[in-house]
Amino acid sequence: MSAAATSHEHAQDHHAHDHHEPGFLRKYVWSTDHKTIGIQYGITGLLFLLFGFFLMLLMRWSIAYPGVPLPAIAEIRAIPGLGDAFESMFGRWMNADGSLNGEIYNMLGAMHGTIMVFFGIVPLGFAAFGNFVMPLQIGTIDMAFPKLNMLSYWFFFISGVLMVYSFFVGTGPVQTGWTMYSPLASTTGIGVTSVWAHGHTWWLTAMVFNISASLLGSVNFIATIINLRTKGMTWMKMPFFCWAMFVIAFLLLLAFPPLEVAAILQLSDRVFGSSFYLPTGLMEGGKHLDISGGGSPLLYQHLFWFLAHPEVYVLILPAFAILSDVIPCNARRPLWGYKSLVYGVLTLGFLSFLVWAHHMYLTGMGTMMSTYFQITTVLISVPSVVLLTCLMVSLWGGSIRFNTQMLFASAFLPMFGIGGLTGLPLAFAFIDLALHDTYYVIGHFHYVVAPGTIFALFAGVYHWYPKITGRFMSDRLGKWHFWPSLIGMNLVFAPMFIQGMAGFHRRWYDGGKYFENTSGFQNWSTTLTHNIGGFFGFNIPDNMLSLNIVMSVGAFILALGQVPFIINFWFSIKGGKKIENDNPWGATTLEWATPTPPPHGNFLFEPVAHRGPYEYSVPGHGADFFPQWETEQGKPETKPTADKALAKH
Amino acid sequence: MDIPYTVTSRPDTGLYNAKIGIWLFLASEVMLFGGLFSAYIFLRVGADYPWPVWDLDVKLGFWNTVFLIISSVTVVMAWASIKLRKYTQYKLCMLATIACAAIFMVNKSMEYAKKFQHYAVKLTDGTILTGHLPHGYQVKFENVDALELTIVGSNKAVDADPVNHVLSSVVGDVPKFKFPSGEEKELNKATFGELRKSMRDAAFAKMQDERAKMIEAAEKAASVATTDFAKYEAARKLTIAKNYHSLSDTKVKLIPSAPLKIAAKPSQFFGYTDTSLTFVDGTIATGKLVDDKMTLEVDGVDTRAVAQSEQSLAFDHRYLGEGWQKAFVANRDHHIADFEKKYPTRDKAKSATLQKESLFFKEFHSAEPPAAGEAHGGKHGAEAHAPADSHGHEAYHPTVVIEKKDITFFSNFTPKLNTYYAIYFTLTGLHGLHVVAGAGVLAYFLFFNGRMLREDPEHLANRVEVGGLFWHFVDLVWIFLFPLLYLL
Amino acid sequence: MSDNIEEIQKSVRKYIIIGIALLALSGFTVWLSTVELPTHGLNILVGMIVATFKASLVALIFMHLNHERPVIYKVLAFTVAFAIVLFVLFILSAQDPLVFEGFYNRNE
Ligand code: HEM
Ligand SMILES: [Cu+2]
Repeated sequence: MSAAATSHEHAQDHHAHDHHEPGFLRKYVWSTDHKTIGIQYGITGLLFLLFGFFLMLLMRWSIAYPGVPLPAIAEIRAIPGLGDAFESMFGRWMNADGSLNGEIYNMLGAMHGTIMVFFGIVPLGFAAFGNFVMPLQIGTIDMAFPKLNMLSYWFFFISGVLMVYSFFVGTGPVQTGWTMYSPLASTTGIGVTSVWAHGHTWWLTAMVFNISASLLGSVNFIATIINLRTKGMTWMKMPFFCWAMFVIAFLLLLAFPPLEVAAILQLSDRVFGSSFYLPTGLMEGGKHLDISGGGSPLLYQHLFWFLAHPEVYVLILPAFAILSDVIPCNARRPLWGYKSLVYGVLTLGFLSFLVWAHHMYLTGMGTMMSTYFQITTVLISVPSVVLLTCLMVSLWGGSIRFNTQMLFASAFLPMFGIGGLTGLPLAFAFIDLALHDTYYVIGHFHYVVAPGTIFALFAGVYHWYPKITGRFMSDRLGKWHFWPSLIGMNLVFAPMFIQGMAGFHRRWYDGGKYFENTSGFQNWSTTLTHNIGGFFGFNIPDNMLSLNIVMSVGAFILALGQVPFIINFWFSIKGGKKIENDNPWGATTLEWATPTPPPHGNFLFEPVAHRGPYEYSVPGHGADFFPQWETEQGKPETKPTADKALAKH
Repeated sequence: MDIPYTVTSRPDTGLYNAKIGIWLFLASEVMLFGGLFSAYIFLRVGADYPWPVWDLDVKLGFWNTVFLIISSVTVVMAWASIKLRKYTQYKLCMLATIACAAIFMVNKSMEYAKKFQHYAVKLTDGTILTGHLPHGYQVKFENVDALELTIVGSNKAVDADPVNHVLSSVVGDVPKFKFPSGEEKELNKATFGELRKSMRDAAFAKMQDERAKMIEAAEKAASVATTDFAKYEAARKLTIAKNYHSLSDTKVKLIPSAPLKIAAKPSQFFGYTDTSLTFVDGTIATGKLVDDKMTLEVDGVDTRAVAQSEQSLAFDHRYLGEGWQKAFVANRDHHIADFEKKYPTRDKAKSATLQKESLFFKEFHSAEPPAAGEAHGGKHGAEAHAPADSHGHEAYHPTVVIEKKDITFFSNFTPKLNTYYAIYFTLTGLHGLHVVAGAGVLAYFLFFNGRMLREDPEHLANRVEVGGLFWHFVDLVWIFLFPLLYLL
Repeated sequence: MSDNIEEIQKSVRKYIIIGIALLALSGFTVWLSTVELPTHGLNILVGMIVATFKASLVALIFMHLNHERPVIYKVLAFTVAFAIVLFVLFILSAQDPLVFEGFYNRNE
C-alpha cells in the first residue's frame, strides 16, 4: 500500500528510479496497477461480504423469532427526533411493530444470495487475490491489459452501486431469490407505474455490468498467464494458484455470457413486454396477462444454470488456489500431487459445463436426460475429491506451523468434505426430488462456500497481509477470530441438514412456525437442544423449530467472531508487528521475491523460475525452503540486474 | 517500464498480447451469441404458433449482407495495406469499412422504424389482422367528473401521480381542479406535491395522536396493575404502543371544474369498465366510456390458427365481409392447387410456405374487393398489378373498425408481438450494437492514430488486425442471422 | 500471420476472390430458401450448411484461422465444444419430457 508503511531499503531504492510519482487519484483511484486494483477489489468485496452477512442476520432473526420485533428497535424509535429520522429511512423495511414480514424477508434473501455470490466471494477470491498474487507469482510487472483491468474494477463498482441502489427504489429490491426464476421474476411488479420503480430491473442492469466486469477480468487473466510468464516459468513450474486462476478465468469467460443472455431476455420481458420466459395462457390474480405467450420458463433455467453451475466452481476454486500456497508453506512440505491437482482442476473446469441441469431435476426432465446429468454430476465429484485429497496428504509428515492461516486452512478440509459429501446424494434424481429446495440444499452449499471458501479467503488474507502492508496481523486476535467462526459456522449450518430432511422449505420466512404443532417433529437433535437449553435455564421447546434458535444463535456467535478480524485488519496496517524480511513465511513462490510492499513494476531483478514452486525441505539444501528464484549459488543480485531490466525496455 | 509483447510476439506462443485478448473476447462472444441462438432454437422448437418465415424484408436483409461482406474484405485489405506500407490505400479501405457500417445501420433503423408503425391484432378466434392504426389506438371517456387517488402513508409502495399519468391523456384544455381543501387550483407538480405533503403530514399527526393515546392507556393500565400478569400485560402493551408506527393511506378526490374528456393509450392504463378507467398509477377516473373501438387499415389476414379459415372472424359482415372472403378463398385454393401440381406426393399440412401463402392473405390491391370471378390470386398476377406490400406504396387497404370484445391481444411489431419478434429484436439489436462499437473502434484507429501510422506502423497494424478480427466476427454472426431470421 | 511481404501481397487477391465468393453464396442462400424441399427442416439444414460454409471461409481466410497458433486453436476448440453443448443439451432436454404413461393408463 502506501510507501510509508515500510522503510524498506529496496522500496527506497526503487523510488529513486521513479521520476514521475503519479498523483493520488492515479495511484489509488484510477490505478492501473494490478496490486492496487487487487486491493480495491479486496476491500470492496469484504465490505459487500459484511453487508450480505448483515442481511442474513436479519433473516435469521425472522426465522428464529417470527413476528417478534427486532431487538432494540423500540429503543431506537423512542429516541426523540432521531427515531423519526430512522423511521423515515428504514421504516419501510419493517412492520409497524418492528418485526419483518415475508415480503421483506424475500428481499433480504434474494439480495443476500446475490451479494454474497456475485459481489462478495467472486470479487474476493478471483479478482482480489488473483489480481494481487497471480502476476507476482508468474513474475511479470503487471497484467497484460492494465487499462482493461481498471475498467473491470469500475464496472464492478458501478454494478455494486446499482445493486445497492435497488434498495431505495419504489418497491424495493427483488424478491425472487438469487436465482431469479421466471415467470415470477418476469412478472412481479409489472403493473408498477414504471419498470424502473421496481428493484428487479435494477438487479438485471447491475448484473449486466457485473458480468462485463468479470469478462474483462477473465480475458486479462488468461492473456497474462499465457503470454507474460517470466523466464523459466514453464506451465508445469507454475504455482497451482495460477492454474486455478486460469481455470476460473475460463469458467467466467465462457459461462457468464449465457447468464448475460438470460438477463437481457428477462430485461426485455420486463421492459418491452416480450414473452421469452412466459408460456401461453399465463394468468396472474385470476386475469390473463397482456402478453403474447409462447415462451418457456425452462429456457431461463437452462441459461441460468449453464452459468450457475460453473459459477459454484468459481466460488470454490479460489479456496483451493489459496490453500495450495498456505498449506505447503506452513506444513513445510512440498504440495503432494502437483500434477494430479493440475489435471484435476482442468478436468473439473471442463466437466463443470456439462452438469448444470442437476439443479433442474424437478422441472419434469425425462429419464434420458436426467440419467445423463446424474452421471456427469457423479463424475465431477471425482476431481473434487482429488483436489481435496492432495491438500490433505500434503499435511502428512509435515512439521506444521499452526498460525492463524493454517488453522483456517486445516478447518477448510473437513468443512469442504462435509459440503462435498452432502452434495453427492443430491446428484441422484430420486433423492433430489425429496430434498430439492429444502434446507438440506442450503446446508450443502453453505458448507462448501461459508466454512469452505470463506475460511480459505481468511487464510489468504492472513497469509498475504504482510506482503501488502509490511506488517503481520496479530496471531492472538486471529485465534479469537478463528474459533468463534468455526463454532458459529457449524452451529448455523449443521442443523440445516436435519431440518432439510424433515422437509423444511428453504424460503419460509417464519421458519416453519405454521407446522409447530405437527406431530413427528421431534428427533434426537431437538431433544438434545431442549435438554441443553433446559440445563442453562431456557425453555426451548422439543421440536424442529428449536433448531431455528440454535442456528440463529450460531449466526450471532459468528457475527461476534468477526469483530476481532475487523479490528485486526484495520489496526495491523499501522500497529502490527513489522516483518523482518521480504519473505516472512519462508515461502518459495515468486511474490515473496519482491520488496515489501511491491513497488510499481514489482521486481528489482529479472525473476527467473529455476525450479518448481513447492520446494520445501529439500534434502541437502540448507534452509527448509528453496525459492523458485534462487540459483544453486543463492539469491540473484538485485541492484545491477534491476537496472538492466529497466534499461531493456 | 513497459509491459512486454505489446508489439512483438512472444517467441514460444507466437502471439502478442492483444491478439490473445481479442480471441478470448471473441470466444466469450461466441458463447454470448451461442446462448442467444440456443434461445432461438428453444423458442422455435417450442413455439405454439406458426413461426414466421419470409416475414421480413428480404431485399433489405440481403443488401445488408452485401455491405457487411464488402466491409469484411476492406478491413482485411486495410490491414494488409499497412503491412505493405501503402498508407493511402489503408485510409481508403478503412473509410470504406466505416461507410459500409453506416449504411448497414441506416438500413437497420429504417427496418425497425417500419416495425414500430405496423400492428397485429389477434381476434378471439385466433385470426390475426395486421395493418396500421391511422389514429393510434385510444380508449375514450367523456364526462369525467372525478379523479380518485390514494396517497400512501409511508413510502412502502408506488404512489399516485396524476400529474404525470393522467393529465397527458386529457383532451383539450385542462381545467382547474377542486382540491379536498375546497380551493380550486391548477393541478401541477407543485400543487400536487403540496397536497401529498399535507396528506402525509395529516397521516403522521394522526399516527402520533393514536400512539400517544395508546401509550396513555397502557401507562394507566400499568399504574393500576396489581397482579404480576397484569403488570406484564401492561408492559407489553406499552412496548407495542411505543412501537406503533402505522401510517394510514388517504383517499383523495379531485373534482374538475368542467367535465374532462380523456383519450388514453393502452400503455397508460391498467383496465377500464363502462364507468371508470384505472391509470397505471392507480388513479381512477370516473366518467362514461364513449369509444374503445380500434380502427385498423388491414394489410394482412392471418388465419393459420383458425380451424376453418374461410369462417374467420375477419370475414364477418362487421369487418372485411363477403367480397374479401371470396378473394381469400380463391387465393387460398389457387395456392393449394399450385402446390398439388408441383409436389403431388407431399403432405400439404407440413409445408410452412404453403400454409403461409394460402392462409396468410395479403392480396389487397384496392379499397374494394375484386368483383366475383375476377379474383386473380397467385403471385404472378399480384406482381403485375401492384408492387408487394413491403414496398409500402400503392397498396390500398380496407379499413375496419374492430370492437374491443373481439380483440384478445394486440401489439405493434415489437418484442411484445410474439417470441419470433422478441428474439429478432434481441439478436439484431445486439448485433447492431456490435456493429456500432466495431465501427467506432475502427474510426478511432483511422482518425486518431495518425501519428502511430507514421512512427510505429507495426503497432497500428496489430491494432487494425485486432479490430478487424472483431469486425469479421460481427460479419460472421450476420451470416447466420440473415438466413435464420429472414429466410428460413 | 506471417510478416512476409510477398505473401501478404498474394493474399490480397485471395481476399477479393473470397469476398466475391461470399457474395455469390449469399445470393445462393436467398435462392435456396425459395425452393421448397420435401420438409422445411431440410431447407433449414441446407441453409445452415451453406451459412456454416460461409462462416468458415470468413474465419479461415479473413481471420487467418488457416494458420494460427496452437493456443488459439485450443481455446476455440473448447469454446465451440461448449457452444455445441449449449445447443444440443437444451434441445434434448426440451424434447425429453417426463412421461407417466404406465401411471395414467393403468386402467385403460
Ligand atoms: C462435490 C460435488 C458436488 C455435488 C455432487 C453437488 C451437487 C449438487 C446438486 C445436485 C445440487 C442441486 C440441489 C437442488 O437444488 O435440489 C446442488 C446445489 C448447489 N450446490 Fe452443489 N454439488 C457439489 C459441490 C458443490 C460445490 C463445490 C459448490 C461450491 C460452491 C456447490 C454449490 C452449490 C450451490 C450454490 C447449490 C444451490 C443452488 C441453489 O439452488 O440456490 N456445490 N449441488
Ligand atoms: Cu450444481
